[in-house]
Amino acid sequence: MSAKALILAASLGALMTVPMLAHHSFGSEYDEKKPLKFENVTVTKLEWTNPHARFYVDVKDEKGKVTNWNFELASPNVLKRNGWTKNTLKEGDKVTVLGTAAKDGTSLGHAQTVISDGKRLFAGSNTADGN
Amino acid sequence: MTVVALTAAVLLLQGPADSQAPADGKAPPKGAPKGGKGKGKARPTGPTPRMADGKPDFSGIWNGGGPIGDIAQGLMPGEEISLTPWSKKIMDTRLTKDDPEANCLPTGVPRIAPYPWRILQTQTHIFYLFEGNIHSFRQIFIDGRPHLKDPDPTWYGDSIGTWDGDTLVVDTIGFNDKFWFDFSGHPHSEQLHTIERITRPDLGGLDIETQIIDPIAYTKPFKIKFTATLRPGEELMEYICQENQQDAQHLQGPAGPPR
Repeated sequence: MSAKALILAASLGALMTVPMLAHHSFGSEYDEKKPLKFENVTVTKLEWTNPHARFYVDVKDEKGKVTNWNFELASPNVLKRNGWTKNTLKEGDKVTVLGTAAKDGTSLGHAQTVISDGKRLFAGSNTADGN
Repeated sequence: MTVVALTAAVLLLQGPADSQAPADGKAPPKGAPKGGKGKGKARPTGPTPRMADGKPDFSGIWNGGGPIGDIAQGLMPGEEISLTPWSKKIMDTRLTKDDPEANCLPTGVPRIAPYPWRILQTQTHIFYLFEGNIHSFRQIFIDGRPHLKDPDPTWYGDSIGTWDGDTLVVDTIGFNDKFWFDFSGHPHSEQLHTIERITRPDLGGLDIETQIIDPIAYTKPFKIKFTATLRPGEELMEYICQENQQDAQHLQGPAGPPR
């Protein structure tokens, strides 16, 4: 990712407080009262797909049990317009994820920000005005 | 059909949509102030682009222009939404997981998805090419033909456009009753009839007033207005919603506006 794209991605992080829209109602799937922060977790898979790109990370709890979490990103098109490429995240990357947990209690989350290699990447779905 | 293929087909059939000004805003007329790029939220400024016959040219990549969260957000002054008992019962029981848009089905009319869309205009047809949700097109006939007799119910209906000065009046019937007007789940019946009055008062904006007429769902017609904003320099990208749709099964609770 170019430096320019990273700066753009970082600046778009300021939009995180805007209600996010995608092809579904954000608040019906995710619970804003359940913020997630997973530090230094390993990416096990990336799906550069529609309607949302997704990445999966292995998260170890205090007892050592590993759970594979599924994180929804924006659509690949929105990510590309925000400076991402299909290679921005890849299997084996160590990342920190800031996001929101699903309401239904499954190991599903929406990633608002991904910190990879020390860089903050805005990752969320469309904002209210459509990107 | 891909956008490229559809575009090529239209050009072969109709010839290029000649413009006196660049309708997509890529190269504003000399002296015109430069507008913001797609992600800059500023509305580009400049004169209304026009076709060779002098009619406004609506071509370009647009953002917005219809309800997303709740159709009531676009109510014009003095207008109100008055549900019939039939539609109130439907609204009260709709679950967000059943929203057709969340399940990768079209938005219908007048709903707009939060993704860019392109208008492609010729002397005889106007096409709306939607990037997202879903990757589909709506067509408006502006060649003087009448409505279909007893049209099959469809997601975008049978749209006939006529010019009233610089306003395109689009009359649409023949809708199915499957799409929702918004995340809130405002319903309609197959008797839905929409009359859209579309203007492009300048380069950067497309004003779309829509009258909703559906005596099964609403006790009286009502009018909404939304404005689409030009995204110069943008291009549509592929978006196949059905590819990896995992959301609907996780959506919880009744239909409602974004929270």
